[in-house]
Amino acid sequence: MNLRELWQKPEARFLILFLTILGVSFTVVALRQVNDAFVTPYTAVIARMSGFVLRIFGEEAVVTGCVVSSPRFAVTIYNGCNGLITSLIFISGVLAFPAKISAKLIGVIGGLLTIQLINLVRIVSLFYIGVFLPQHFNDAHIFVWQSLVIIAGISLWIVWAHKFALPQESS
Amino acid sequence: MKNATQVFLRRLPVTMIAAVVIWLLLRPAIDTAVAGLAQTLIRSFEYPRVTRLVVEDHQAQMRRTDLRTDSKVPSVSMTEVTFNTIVLLALYLALPHPFSRRQLERLFMGWCVLYLSQSINLLFHVKTLYAMGLGEWSQHHYSDLARNVFGFGRYFTDLPGRFSFPFLIWLGFNWEVVMKMLGIHEETPKKSKTKKKTTSGRG
Repeated sequence: MNLRELWQKPEARFLILFLTILGVSFTVVALRQVNDAFVTPYTAVIARMSGFVLRIFGEEAVVTGCVVSSPRFAVTIYNGCNGLITSLIFISGVLAFPAKISAKLIGVIGGLLTIQLINLVRIVSLFYIGVFLPQHFNDAHIFVWQSLVIIAGISLWIVWAHKFALPQESS
Repeated sequence: MKNATQVFLRRLPVTMIAAVVIWLLLRPAIDTAVAGLAQTLIRSFEYPRVTRLVVEDHQAQMRRTDLRTDSKVPSVSMTEVTFNTIVLLALYLALPHPFSRRQLERLFMGWCVLYLSQSINLLFHVKTLYAMGLGEWSQHHYSDLARNVFGFGRYFTDLPGRFSFPFLIWLGFNWEVVMKMLGIHEETPKKSKTKKKTTSGRG
């Protein structure tokens, strides 16, 4: 089988595209210029959104850069906590999947918003775990919420493919 | 196929809880196995062989036999290195017939690949510390190229790797099952004893 034949197989094309987009996007966000110009401000926006939600819940939350603090607890939002990695994996899956451009656009926008919403719930819940169950903060942060966010991203991709990107079945 | 997707999504929360329980039970063994392989890989390229990785309280402590006994012992959280086992297990168990011989074989193979990726992640943590974190000693013993290679390796096996490897491994080992579930898999024609038909569904 030559490369052209391989490329014409939808599953092979999907895997090649997925890995390529994933590799390129992870490389791009690793660059210092991109980190300073995009990733850090993006993380700061996530911190401000988290602070806003916590203030709605009655917390005296103050946001300084990527740190959300209150008299009761403080959380620092690092690169792995901003939902960006899950978003990149999700976007790679959507862009690589054989679907119409409009369906991909719906997937990317809808997926990004949903992942950020889940991440916001994660940050707020971790804040309250830090307040009420500080001894469980690390476990909740690492293996519970990180696993949940990854699985949520994969589930979203499957839902998107199922709802929007399936080829029409002939009757 | 649509039903298969719905069943998969309904199973996923349950299999996630099961995966957390399995991981918590196996965690001491996984920690030791990952640290053991990482130590073997590090010592394979080390002369004299001085690195020892000791797991205590889910932390891999980097002990070198040539360090002073009063030196601070750096450590890496094994929870962060191995937590993605939960994701792999949850995805595998949510697929149809997870305990069939074929799926168990695939789970074993996938888990082996993930185990290797976790060990390599820990290796890059240790080597990055040696190359960048030990002041003048690092400057003297490691080149700029080595610092870049180990830093690059650590970056890719850290967040991007930990987050995407379980998905890629699961997808890779269950390709046709997942593609069938999603509806983009083209059935390969089975060998049949019947005569070849001239009409077919797809061109």
